[in-house]
Amino acid sequence: MAFIKLNDLEVEVEDGTNVVEAARQHGIEVPHYCYHPGLSRPANCRMCLVEPYVFFPPAGAIVPDRQLATGCTTVLRTAPPDRKLDGKYDFIVQTDSPRVKKAREDILEFLLVHHPLDCPVCDQAGECDLQDFSYRHGHDKSRYLEVKNVPPKKDLGPDVLLYSTRCIVCTRCIRFCDEVSGSGELGLIHRGSHDEIDIPRNHGGAPLQLLDNKLAGNVVDICPVGALISKDFLFKSRPWFMKKTNSICAGCSVGCNITLEYKEDGVYRLKPRFHGEINQHWMCDDGRLGYHYVNSDDRLQLPLKRVDGELTPTHWADALALITEKLLGTEAADVAPEDIVVIGSAQGTNEDNYVLQQFAHDVLKTTQVGLFGQLPGEEHKFPQFTIEADKNPNTAGARTILGAANGNVVLEGDALWERVAGAKVVYLVSGGPERPLEAAESAALEKVDFLVVQDVLPSDVTQLADVVLPGTTFAEKDGTFTNSTGWVQRIRKTIDAPGEARVDWEITQQLAKQLGGEMNYHFAGEIALAIAENVPGYGEATHQKVGDEGVKLT
Amino acid sequence: MSDEIIQIETPFQFTEENRLEFDKLMGRYPVKEAAMLPTLHLAQKQEGYISPAVMRYVAELLEVSLMKVKDVVTFYPMFFEEPVGQYVIRVCHTLPCALRDCKVVLEHLKTKLNTDVAAETDLAKGTTSDGRFTLMKVECLASCDVAPVIMINDDLHRNLTPEKVDEILDNLE
Repeated sequence: MAFIKLNDLEVEVEDGTNVVEAARQHGIEVPHYCYHPGLSRPANCRMCLVEPYVFFPPAGAIVPDRQLATGCTTVLRTAPPDRKLDGKYDFIVQTDSPRVKKAREDILEFLLVHHPLDCPVCDQAGECDLQDFSYRHGHDKSRYLEVKNVPPKKDLGPDVLLYSTRCIVCTRCIRFCDEVSGSGELGLIHRGSHDEIDIPRNHGGAPLQLLDNKLAGNVVDICPVGALISKDFLFKSRPWFMKKTNSICAGCSVGCNITLEYKEDGVYRLKPRFHGEINQHWMCDDGRLGYHYVNSDDRLQLPLKRVDGELTPTHWADALALITEKLLGTEAADVAPEDIVVIGSAQGTNEDNYVLQQFAHDVLKTTQVGLFGQLPGEEHKFPQFTIEADKNPNTAGARTILGAANGNVVLEGDALWERVAGAKVVYLVSGGPERPLEAAESAALEKVDFLVVQDVLPSDVTQLADVVLPGTTFAEKDGTFTNSTGWVQRIRKTIDAPGEARVDWEITQQLAKQLGGEMNYHFAGEIALAIAENVPGYGEATHQKVGDEGVKLT
Repeated sequence: MSDEIIQIETPFQFTEENRLEFDKLMGRYPVKEAAMLPTLHLAQKQEGYISPAVMRYVAELLEVSLMKVKDVVTFYPMFFEEPVGQYVIRVCHTLPCALRDCKVVLEHLKTKLNTDVAAETDLAKGTTSDGRFTLMKVECLASCDVAPVIMINDDLHRNLTPEKVDEILDNLE
C-alpha cells in the first residue's frame, strides 16, 4: 500500500493505482476523456492533469512540480524509505489547485473549439462527459471566433453511427477495437485538427471494411461524447427519462452484468456494468440488442387452450382447471407418476426451477425431470472477451437445482426426447426468444397426450401444446442466474409482464396448490433462502448476499 | 446504409525487384509495422498511387489492420490515394518562397500546363488531361536560401523564374 497525500486527505491506496482511480476511490473527481480503466493509456486528452509535489533540494522544501502531470499515467507506488516526502508520504498530489483548475479550463476550451452546440438534438446529452465536465470544470464562454470544422456524419457499421463533429478524438474506440475486440476496424484519418475517426474506405468514401464485430456496441458506451451513437437507441429516449436497474444479461451463459434501462412501456437498452471476473466493462452485441423479444407485440398475454385443434385464449382459472382435471380427474387413473415428465428451463431463474422441481417431486411424485433451453449458437473468442455457445443464462443453475435438491437425474438431449416420446403428460417450461424445434424434438412432443407449456412467445413449442401458460422474461421477474463459471447473480423485475402473463414460479406454485401441494412462497428471495438451505453449494446464494456483485459457488 | 462493402477486385503485388527491396527493408526494423513508410513509398513508386488494393497488400505484408495503413496514408500528404501525373510538381508557397514570388512561378506553371492546382482530396483537379503533370502547392521544402523552389518528383529546382521553369520543363522527357 502507498501512503498518499491527496489534496487535504491522507489516504492509502494499492500500489499501481493511478491518480484518477485513487481520487475516484475517495470521492474526488478527476475529469478525463481518453483514459478508460479497461484500455491502454495514451494520455492524449490532457484533461486529467494534476499537480504532483516534489522535493526541491536547493530550497530544502517540498514544492509543486514544474509541470503538471496526467493523472491517468501517474502511478502511485510505495517509495523507498529515503525518498519519502515529509518523512512519510509516498506521493503528494493536488487535484484542485488553481494551476490544475486553470489547466482544465484551457484544455476544455481547446476540446470545444470544433464541437457543435447541438446538445438539444444529441443522444448523449444527459450522460455526456463533455457536457458534465464543461459544466463543472470549464469556461463559461468560448473565445474561438474562427469557422468550425464540419466533418461529415458517417455510418460505420450495422449498429454504429459516427457524428464526427462531436468527436474529441480521445481514441477510446480505436483502442477498444485494437485491444479488446482485436479487430482493428477503426483508425484516424487526416491530421491535426482535421483528425476524424473512420473505418477503412476507398478514396471515394465507400467502405472497405465495416465496424461489424460482435463487440462493436461497446464503442458507443465508452465514447465520452455523443460522437458514436447506437442506431438501435437513436432518438428513442432521453437518458434521464429512463429508470435503471442492475441486472444480468440473459443472452448466453457468460452472465454479463448489465444495467437494464426501461420505461413503463418496455425495455429501451442494455448497458454493460463492471464485473472484474466476468465481463470487465463489456458486453456483446448479441446480448445488447437481444432484448427486443421482451417488447414484442407477439408476447403471450393470456393462457391458451386447444379447442377443436386451435389454440384459443382463455382465463387463468380455466387453464389451470384443465390441467388439474387431467391429473386429478376421471382420466387421471391412467396417468401414473412415471408417465409425467417435467422439464425446467435454462432460461428460467434458479427460483423458477426450484419451485418446478418441488412441484415435480412433492406434488406429481415424478422423477422424470428434464432440462430445456435455447439451441446452442457459436462461440466467439476475442483477445479480452468470450461469447459462449450456450445461449442460456442459467444452464448451470437449472441443472443443479432441478437435479440436486431431491437426488433426481436431469434428462437432457436425446435421453430427454426419448423419455418425452413415451410420456403421457409433459409439463414444459420454455422462455426466452422464440425457440425453433428440431425434427426429433417436435416428433417426440407430438406423441405426448397432454402437453403443458409455459412460454413467453408463440413458437414451435407452443404450437404443439394443449395448454399454454404465459410466463415472463428476465426483465419482468426477480431471481438469480448461475453462469458457466459458477457465479450466482441477481436479475430484478423492471417492467410489468404484458397482459395476464405471470412469473413462472408463481404459475407452478398456483398449480401445485390446486393439486394439493404445500407450497407458499411470496417472493423470489424466499425461494432463494430455501435453495440456500437445500441445494449443496448454494449456501451463500441468498438474494441479500448475492447483491450486485454476485456470489461465486464454492 | 453502408452495409455494402466495396470488394477490392484487382489485386496488387510487388514486382520481384520490389519484393527483394522490401525484404531488405525488413531487416532494418525491429517490428514489421515499423517498415510502414518505406513500404508504402515503394508501393507508390510501383503503382503510382496508393489504391485500396495496395493498402490491403501492405497491411497483409506488415501484419497490421487495413485501417492502420489507411491511417498512415491519409496522415502524410506525400502519399496519393488517386492516380497522379507522370511528373508531380510541388510548388513551395511558405513564407520565404512567397516573398520571392513563388506566385509568379505557380501562375506560369498553371498557364503553361493549362491546369488548376490540385486539392488534397482532389488530385485530378491539378492533373493535366494528358496525364503527364500534376501541379500542387506544398509547405516548406526546406530550401529557403534558394527560394523560390519547386520539386518535380524527387528533384529540387531552386532560384526559379518563369524562364527557368520553361527550361526545366523542356528538358523533361
